[in-house]
Amino acid sequence: MEKNEAIHSSAHERHVDELQERRKHYYSRFFRRFAFLIITFFLIPLLLMGWGINIYYTKFARDRMTSSFHAQVDNHRKIIELFLRQRSSKLQLIANTHSKDYLSKVSNLARVFEMINLEDSSITDLGVIDGHGRHLAYIGPYDLMDKNYSNAFWFKEVMEKGLYVSDMFMGFRKVPHFIMAVTRTEKGERWILRATIDTEVFRSLVENVRIGKTGEVYLLNRKGVFQTSPRFRGKIMEKVPFPVESVHEGTRIRVLEGDTDDKERSISRRIVAQTWLTEPRWMLVVTQDYSEAFSDVNHANRATLAFLFLSALAILIVTVIITKYMIEVIKRRDVEADQLNKQLMQAGKLASVGELSAGVAHEINNPLAIILTERQILLDLMGQTPDLDKDFNDALLESLSQVDVQVQRCKRITHNLLRFSRRTTSVIETVNLNEFIEEVIELMEREAKTSGIKFMPDLEEGLPPLLTDPSQLQQVFLNMINNAIDAHEGSSYGSIHISTRSDDHTQGVQVVFADTGSGISEKDLEKIFDPFFTTKAVGKGTGLGLSICYSIMKRLGGDISVQSEPGKGTIFNLFLPYSPPPDLKESIDEVLEV
Amino acid sequence: MKGSRILLVDDEVVFTTNMSKLLTNRGYFVTPVNSGDSAIRELEENDFDVVVLDLKMPGMDGITTLKEIKKLDLFTETLILTGHGSIDTAMEAIKLGAYDYLTKPCEIDELVAKIEGAWEKKDDALKEDMQEKIQKVVESPKSAFSLFGKKKSKK
Repeated sequence: MEKNEAIHSSAHERHVDELQERRKHYYSRFFRRFAFLIITFFLIPLLLMGWGINIYYTKFARDRMTSSFHAQVDNHRKIIELFLRQRSSKLQLIANTHSKDYLSKVSNLARVFEMINLEDSSITDLGVIDGHGRHLAYIGPYDLMDKNYSNAFWFKEVMEKGLYVSDMFMGFRKVPHFIMAVTRTEKGERWILRATIDTEVFRSLVENVRIGKTGEVYLLNRKGVFQTSPRFRGKIMEKVPFPVESVHEGTRIRVLEGDTDDKERSISRRIVAQTWLTEPRWMLVVTQDYSEAFSDVNHANRATLAFLFLSALAILIVTVIITKYMIEVIKRRDVEADQLNKQLMQAGKLASVGELSAGVAHEINNPLAIILTERQILLDLMGQTPDLDKDFNDALLESLSQVDVQVQRCKRITHNLLRFSRRTTSVIETVNLNEFIEEVIELMEREAKTSGIKFMPDLEEGLPPLLTDPSQLQQVFLNMINNAIDAHEGSSYGSIHISTRSDDHTQGVQVVFADTGSGISEKDLEKIFDPFFTTKAVGKGTGLGLSICYSIMKRLGGDISVQSEPGKGTIFNLFLPYSPPPDLKESIDEVLEV
Repeated sequence: MKGSRILLVDDEVVFTTNMSKLLTNRGYFVTPVNSGDSAIRELEENDFDVVVLDLKMPGMDGITTLKEIKKLDLFTETLILTGHGSIDTAMEAIKLGAYDYLTKPCEIDELVAKIEGAWEKKDDALKEDMQEKIQKVVESPKSAFSLFGKKKSKK
C-alpha cells in the first residue's frame, strides 16, 4: 500500500515537473513569438515609412539643390555676359560716335580712354587700327605703335564679324589677357577700335565666387584651356586633362564620380554644372564636392537613420517590457487556474466519493439491518428457551452483544459516509462563536487533560453573532480538537491554541486551531482533506473526519486550510461567514416548510 | 398495540422474513411483501393498521408506492424504514403523508415504538371519523347505510 502510494506520488511529481517544463517552453515560445510579431508589425511600417520619407526627401532636396545650382550657374553666366556686353557696347558706342580721324589723334584717344575708365578701370589699353592692321593710335602701358596686326588671328576675325572677343592669351605682354575689338566703316574704309580688358577685374568676377568650402567657378574655352584660374586644380592658360563637351544650349548638370588626376591626387565625387557663353564661346563651369553640395540631404538622411534606429530601439524595449509583463500575467493566471483546478479536482473527488459513499452506505445498511434482525431472533429464541445451559447462554449473549457493537460501529461509519455525502440537513441558528467554542472546549477538557494537553483560547471580544448550523460546526470543532489531541500522541504535554478574529472586510470570522503536535509531512498535507486518507492506526480513524469538516465548511459558506511543520505542529485556519450562503438558506427553508 | 395488522414492504426477503418473525413474536399480525405492487394489491384486499415501507426498491419504489397508498384513501398509516438514510427522500415521504421515518439498521424496540405511534395516530383518526359519522347518523339516520356500508375502512 505504502509502496503504491510512493509510486503514485513520484508519478505525480514527475507529472508536475513535466508540466512545469512544458510551461517553461511554452512561455519562452510565447515570448519569442509575441516579441517577433510585435517587432514585425511595428518595425515593418516604421521602416517603410522611414524609407519612403527618405526617398521622397532625398529626391526633393536633390531637386532643390540641383535647381539652386542651375540658378547659380545662370546668374554667373549673366553677370559675365553683362560685363562683356557692357565693354563691347562701350567700344561700339565710341567707334560709332567718333571718327577715325578724331580717334587717331593720341590726345583724343587718351581723353576717350580716360572717360571709359572713369567708372571702372577695366580697360588696360585702347588702340585704333586701320584696315591693314596698322596702329593709327595707341594709348596704354606698352609700346605697340609699330605693331602690325594684319596677320594676327583676331584681326581677321574682327574684320569678318564686326565684333570680336578673344580667348585668353599671353601675347606680347606675357600676361594672360584678352582683347575686344569692334569695326566701323567710314567713307568706305573699315577701321578697328581695339581694347585690352583688364584680366584682373574680369578674373576677380569669376574667381572670387565662393561656393561652400569645395566649390569653384572657372571658365574654359572650346579647346579646354582655363580662361580663369580655378580655385583648386589648375591655373589660367593651362589645359584641362579631360575632353571638353561641344557647345550646347542651356545648362547641363551632371555628377562626376570620384577619380584620381594625372598627379595621382584623388578627386572626390563632384557635381558639375556647365553652360556656354554666347560671345565669346567660353564655358562657365561651377563645381562642388558632392558630399558638400548634398550635405543637407546627407544630414537629413543621418537624422532619419538615427530616428529610425532610436524608434526601433524603443519598439524593442517596449516589446520586451510588454511581452514580459504579459507573460507575467499569463503565469499568474496559470497559477490561479492551477489552484482553481486543484479546488475543482478536490470538489470533484469529494463529489464522486460522496456519491459512492451514499451508495455503499445504503447497500451496507440493508445487510446490517438483517444482521440486527437475526440477532434479535436469536435473542427472542433464547428468551423462549428457558432451559438453556447457563454458560452457553452467557457466551451466546456476549457474542450477540458483540454483534450489536460491531453493527453499531458499521452504522456509525455508514452514517458518517452519508453525512459526508451531505445527505443530512442543516439547522441555522444564531451562534455566539466564543461561547460556542468555550462549550466545545469544556466538552473536550477531560480528554485533553488525560493526554497532558492544555487549551489556550484567545477569543476576540465583541465578536458579532454568526448565523450558522451549530451541530455541524460542533462536529468540525470537535474534529479539529480530536485531531489536535491525537497529534500529541507520544508526548506527555502540549497545547492547543484556539483564536477567533472577526474581519468585516470578508464579512466573517477567522478561527485558528494551532497545536504543538507532531505536524504533517508536506506529502500528506496535499491529501489531508481527501476522503479515506488517514495517518492514524488501522481501526482508529476512518479518514473521513477532515473530509467531512471540509464539506461542512464549504457548505456553510466558509473555508478551511492547513499549514504544518513536521515536529512543530499544525495550524488549521477556518473561515466562517457572518451569515450562510443563500443556497444553504434556501435548502433549509424548504426543509422547514415540511 | 398488540394485534395490530402490519404490512411489511421491503425487497429484501430475508429482512421481511426476519422482521415478520420478530413483530409476530411481539403480538403483531404481519403480512410481508417484497414489492410495491404486492403492497398495493394487499391493501386493496385487506385492512392494515400500519404499513412499514422501504424507500429503495426495484420496480415501484417506496415514494411511488406511498403515492399509490395515499390514492387508496385509507386510514392506514405508513412508516418509512429506509437504508438509504437520505433525509431529503424521507422528508419528501413525510410531505406525501407518511407518518414518520426510521433509518436501517434500527433496533426492534425503536421500530415497535414508531409502529405504536403510527397505530395511535391511525386509531385517533378512525375514532374521530367514527364520531363524525355517528353525528351524521344522529342528524340523518338514513345516511347510515351509505356511511357504514363500505367493506373497507375508507375515510
